[in-house]
Amino acid sequence: MIRFALIATLAAAPALAQDFSEGSEAREWGLFAEQKALFTATVSDPLCELAGDCADDCGGGTRQVVLIRKADNAMVFPLKNAQSAFNGAVADLAPFCGQTVDVDGLLIEDPEIGATNVYLVQRIRPEGGEWQRANTWTDNWAEKNPETEGPGPWFRRDPRVLEELEREGYLGLGEEADQEFFKDWF
Amino acid sequence: MRAMIPLALAALAGPALAADGERVQVTGEVIDTWCYFSGVMGGPDAVVGTAHHTCALWCSAGGIPVGLLAPDGTVYMVLKMEGDDENAGGDTNLRIASHTIEADGMLYRRDGLNYLIVEEVIADQDIVNATHEDFGVIPGFAIPDSEAPE
Repeated sequence: MIRFALIATLAAAPALAQDFSEGSEAREWGLFAEQKALFTATVSDPLCELAGDCADDCGGGTRQVVLIRKADNAMVFPLKNAQSAFNGAVADLAPFCGQTVDVDGLLIEDPEIGATNVYLVQRIRPEGGEWQRANTWTDNWAEKNPETEGPGPWFRRDPRVLEELEREGYLGLGEEADQEFFKDWF
Repeated sequence: MRAMIPLALAALAGPALAADGERVQVTGEVIDTWCYFSGVMGGPDAVVGTAHHTCALWCSAGGIPVGLLAPDGTVYMVLKMEGDDENAGGDTNLRIASHTIEADGMLYRRDGLNYLIVEEVIADQDIVNATHEDFGVIPGFAIPDSEAPE
């Protein structure tokens, strides 16, 4: 029985520092602490996991979502999708709320600044399905903001961002501070 | 022997049992967690405050989780802000991007991350971290050339 207990303890421990890079086809971003990571997980609502405050469909895209990794039950926080235009991962993952998926992407492990179990998801494969790219954010934004059609990336045209820039300026200190800064900046 | 069994079970179940909440008051800057943790735009000192305010707006509007960066360097991942759970690109977080706030709420720790449910913003100091004096703006294209004085 002692042997069983020890084996069980040791079997659980390595999962905490497991290497998830095997089979990953994630694109490298050249980030200081990135690690390719392909793993199976359940998409979940962190408020539900932590505080029992559960919403239907993980909030349907309004709440953040997390990945409960099958290998070690770790709660991994996906901060970013595959796009390079300041987009989070919720639009790509929330449709799979409660489902088991395979995800491929980059874990960021930089404990010196508190980064652990945070993730950039690049592709998602639902159980029994095909891989799909985690890049739906900008299409979702375009559907929600048809009046903003025009040249330039979304973040130059987003009405809420433009309103904040109008209100507080690029530095957040107001128009006068911006104008003073521009004299040196340009 | 009997004592070993709960130990083994606890090790197997570890992370799932680590989510006891604790009421806390935290003062910190509302940051963009992706740029801070990933280093994609530069070191941690450069991706906070005024230098990074415009990028913080983009990331907040883009649904990237916001955090509270405390003076001791601890990052608290914010899951609700003043009861607002629309935390993936919602208005509440957007309006206080880069602000230094004092928050009262519930703290949960799991798998190395701190998660904060902010029930009340007790004080809002506005934007006080004047990092543009050292770093300019990060990224450099945050301010479009069209804003250049004539």
